[in-house]
Amino acid sequence: MKVLIILPPFLPIDDIREIIRQILPDGEISTSTDFTEHNAEVLVATTFTRIDGNLISKLPNLKMIQISSTGYDNVDQDAVKSRKIMLCNIPVANKESVAEHVITMALAHLKNLIHFHNEILKGNWPVLTNSMDLMGKTFGIIGMGAIGRKLAERLLYFGANTVYYDPVRLPEEDEEILGLKFYSMNELLAKSDIISLHVPLTPETKNFIAEKQFNTMKDGSIFINTSRGEVVDEAAMIKAIKTKGIRAGIDVYSQEPPDFSSELFRLDNGYFFTAHSRGHHGKPAEVYNGNSRQCDEICAGTPASLQGAMIERL
Amino acid sequence: MKGYELFARTLNDLRIGPVFGNPGSTEIPMLREIKDYVLTLHDSISVGMADGLAQYTGTPSIVNLHTLPGVANSMAFIHTARLNRSPVVITSGQQDNRHVYYEPLLSHDLLSLVSDAVKYRYEVRNPEDIERSLKRAAMKSLEPPMGPVFVSFPMDVMEEEADYIGLAWKYPNTALVDMAEVEYVAKCIEEAASPAIISGSEIDAYGSMDDAVNFAEKVGCPVYAEPLSSRACFRSGNHRFAGDILPATTAMNMILMKNDLILNFGGDFTIYPYLQSPLLPGKKVITISLSPSFKYGEFITSHPGLFMRELTKIVKPKGDFRRPEDLSAGSVAARERRTLGMNYVLQKVRKKFHDYVIVDEAISASVAVRKNLGYRDRSYFTAKSGQLGWATPAAAGISMKNPRVLEIIGDGSMMYTVQTLWTVSQYNLPLKILVLDNQGYSILKSFSTSFYPGVEKAPFLSFRTNIVKISEAFGVEAREGDESLNELDWLAEGEMAKVLVVHVDKSIPKLFF
Repeated sequence: MKVLIILPPFLPIDDIREIIRQILPDGEISTSTDFTEHNAEVLVATTFTRIDGNLISKLPNLKMIQISSTGYDNVDQDAVKSRKIMLCNIPVANKESVAEHVITMALAHLKNLIHFHNEILKGNWPVLTNSMDLMGKTFGIIGMGAIGRKLAERLLYFGANTVYYDPVRLPEEDEEILGLKFYSMNELLAKSDIISLHVPLTPETKNFIAEKQFNTMKDGSIFINTSRGEVVDEAAMIKAIKTKGIRAGIDVYSQEPPDFSSELFRLDNGYFFTAHSRGHHGKPAEVYNGNSRQCDEICAGTPASLQGAMIERL
Repeated sequence: MKGYELFARTLNDLRIGPVFGNPGSTEIPMLREIKDYVLTLHDSISVGMADGLAQYTGTPSIVNLHTLPGVANSMAFIHTARLNRSPVVITSGQQDNRHVYYEPLLSHDLLSLVSDAVKYRYEVRNPEDIERSLKRAAMKSLEPPMGPVFVSFPMDVMEEEADYIGLAWKYPNTALVDMAEVEYVAKCIEEAASPAIISGSEIDAYGSMDDAVNFAEKVGCPVYAEPLSSRACFRSGNHRFAGDILPATTAMNMILMKNDLILNFGGDFTIYPYLQSPLLPGKKVITISLSPSFKYGEFITSHPGLFMRELTKIVKPKGDFRRPEDLSAGSVAARERRTLGMNYVLQKVRKKFHDYVIVDEAISASVAVRKNLGYRDRSYFTAKSGQLGWATPAAAGISMKNPRVLEIIGDGSMMYTVQTLWTVSQYNLPLKILVLDNQGYSILKSFSTSFYPGVEKAPFLSFRTNIVKISEAFGVEAREGDESLNELDWLAEGEMAKVLVVHVDKSIPKLFF
């Protein structure tokens, strides 16, 4: 079976090629979509590659697309459906990394890290602190998929009170094990000190968190988005940061790289940015050899899907 | 009518029974006409069972002890019944009057022995005393503050003749409310910046939960439970309920720091251990009780429930306290799952036994038992004295009237009166017992860690027992539970007595400052 793997050029292609050689010997790596036609039956890609009707038309034998992440909003699903191509994602990909990243952002806000860092660089020695603990805070998770669960597992040992919303409620035993309380979306927004968003980008979830949702949040609460930028109405978020003192932790943007002229990057306070980076490693082979389950899942995910362990089929 | 016939006839007239006891030669004469007798294998267990039954029913119960050894064996339990304000009529045999001069075996001055543990004591002198002293004792037991009374019966009086008079008796009226005092308290509330309410054990003992809730709803202040209450004080599911007041003064002051007026309805300030902080400094404290202790603040002697009923009519709302939702319970329990921590176990227990009467003697877990199981009307009992060994007899006594009783007890406490299981088995009592086995005296280890560090490692604070085998030897089915705690389902099934032992977290809890 002919497999084409399209990767963004900034990744360490040689390292990845070595991994691919061992687990998908038929795989061909490309860093470009600039070809006229390819006979691949399987396409493996990251979210950095836009898979639209044009690209699909250049792959006449394509039967399956494997996206190497949880999100697959870079795929034109109508085009995929019309060709009856199987689309697979890896919902467990990067879940530990994302969970840790979310907690890092929450702690950065709670411990006021940027403020202290800047003050000390300026030669000041802050005597009083408004540093807060995660212990005892109400942490709301919107979306209890693989990442939400990993986040909940970690929060348990921080002593946080974790609540969640998901259209599908977990079985009671799972809630018990994770120490979770189920809330409606509105209850979660109104009662949480920290809110972390873990929903896929679909037509239904575009601008899922908008002005109404921000208005329901507590003043000064922490809002973290590591899912997809378009799930949040950016203008409403800017307004909430300005008027409600919402402190945002943003890893994803409606376009990436974002428009750096946006007001979002000129606010006085209340934000913490990272660059959709929590799932991408510069040294995948090193990670793979370092007992990281996430690399394992990504690399093994494709052959698993090829053997029929489809995670999502359209 | 012979003395022993008068004894039985009077108990029938008072409708008191069964007689709990463990007889000796001095009691055989007086028991000849007693048909409803429950045998316990230690004297003290009789008092414990009678205490539990009396508290649960709110009417007197009766015990028959074996003169000096029986009374002496039971002293800690009589003391507990006094602190529990439990109307227990304690009787005992006494040596033949004609024999006492020679100081025979078993003879002693029993009235001196019980002197500070009972509120009425009498040794009958002639057969005419039998009816009147028993009726007087029963009525005295219910007079506020309720508590144990004692009557002893020399063997020879039981053989003497007298007529049964049929003396009139009725239980005392406690409906005391002074409207001037009600108006005074209403004014104090109006003038206060931030009142708080403490609800005490009298609220449950006098069936005043509705009055307490109605008053709390109207006035809108937070309601706390009396420190170390021996029974439920309020309905903890009500949104006005703010939790338990802890017994150390420092903790008490911190909890009530923002309140300038403390209204204590039917409770007492039990303080333990000693800490240097003064009790509620600078605050106006008013206790409304049928049996005030006069320890601290102002006092109004009144029926607390009826007082609140009248107060509700005139008091002006003073807030709208609503207890914040406790979101920590689930995560705390989940964290403790791996080690079988108390909160994990008790959350599981709550799911299965939420409508049971809880009798608590898991001393180091008691805070968690109260928090996880909560308070409802006549739903929670523990020994006010802090003694060990009370819960199993008391739970057995309550189970004679209610088939849904769960005793939660530590392994150390269980061994004090474990032979209660024989009585439970013999009389087919439907008692369910959950033993939280942490292999030692965890409360003492915690105390040592806080105040005398190092002692907690002493070998005399740790031990192992095999409570499953011991229970089975007394005829009670028993099992050990694993981490899943699925055995709680087994424990709840059926109406026969069962013991479930769970080997819980042995790490030392932080229970003291």
